[in-house]
Amino acid sequence: MLSRAARPALRAGAAVSARPVAPNAATFATLREIEDRLKSIRNIEKITKTMKIVASTKLTRAQRAMTESRQYGMTSNTVFENAETKPIEGEDKKTLIVVASSDKGLCGGIHSGLSKCVRRMLVANPNCDIVVVGEKCKAQLSRSNGRNVVLNFGGIGKDIPTFTDAQAIADQISLLPGDYASIQIVYNKFINATSYEATPIEAFSEEAIASSPNFSAFEIDDEVLANLREYALSNSLFWALAEGHACEQSARRNAMDNASKNAGDMITKYQILFNRTRQAVITGELVEIITGAAASEE
Amino acid sequence: MAFAWKASGLTYNKYLSVAARVVRRSLKDDKRLAAERRGEMELRFAKWNNGKQGDMKSLADANAASMAEAAGT
Repeated sequence: MLSRAARPALRAGAAVSARPVAPNAATFATLREIEDRLKSIRNIEKITKTMKIVASTKLTRAQRAMTESRQYGMTSNTVFENAETKPIEGEDKKTLIVVASSDKGLCGGIHSGLSKCVRRMLVANPNCDIVVVGEKCKAQLSRSNGRNVVLNFGGIGKDIPTFTDAQAIADQISLLPGDYASIQIVYNKFINATSYEATPIEAFSEEAIASSPNFSAFEIDDEVLANLREYALSNSLFWALAEGHACEQSARRNAMDNASKNAGDMITKYQILFNRTRQAVITGELVEIITGAAASEE
Repeated sequence: MAFAWKASGLTYNKYLSVAARVVRRSLKDDKRLAAERRGEMELRFAKWNNGKQGDMKSLADANAASMAEAAGT
């Protein structure tokens, strides 16, 4: 009675052990599963490759815009260099940090690089307000320093930033109620195609300009000074936005390049696994047929 | 030196963008289309209060509204 009941269980156990086992038992998978996974990796590779191509074409345009805007921004800052303008030191006035990031992700660590730089600045000088341009840095900074954020802008980074964008942002910033001793625009500086550095540029307040040591070299009416400040702010913003945009495209190109490479590696790995498993299945079937034939001959 | 645009509540940047728009519009058709694309701006923004984000608003509308307000005073 007991032996008869135990027999089917025994047979089932024998059948399990006879089934072909993949070379590495840890990632045991049937042929179908491996095939499905291969297909999905191929699709991902296609997507990342396309994104890389799109980013490379955008990159050339963005870089051209960057070199032009950098020239533009530097020219605008020559005035302050000649006047030897310095930010007003210390006191109780606040500093405003403008973060120039963008809305889109999938471009490596450039957004978090900016956020880290801003956090470092906040540790050094906690009396700061933050204006965030772009959704990505907003998400990161609102988690750690939400109380410091006063404004945020979205919808940037679809295309190369225009001067109109910079002007509108500068307008809204100058409408802020606070009186700021200096405005730091943090952006990603384009060093070369693979390295970017979060750097601040200074946009000065009126008092800072008026109290600069070499101020008398220029003939400026007091009323015009406010205009100069606003204009210089939007110039610097434009520069920061354009350079940040170029960095983002370049970083995205690199990230997608790496992703496609990794996908390629995975595809070869899974292809080999697939072939091995297939062979193991065939060998197993052959063994079954041969043993079956040998058994029936007797 | 008093500026007419300043008295009507415009900031210098707004004044510049109005002037730029006029120049763009007076270009010939082929160049105007390319130039006007540079003048487009569809940013949104939100004010923050005590670590909380306010509503997202169109930046162009808000700027126009604040200029109009400044003109009234």
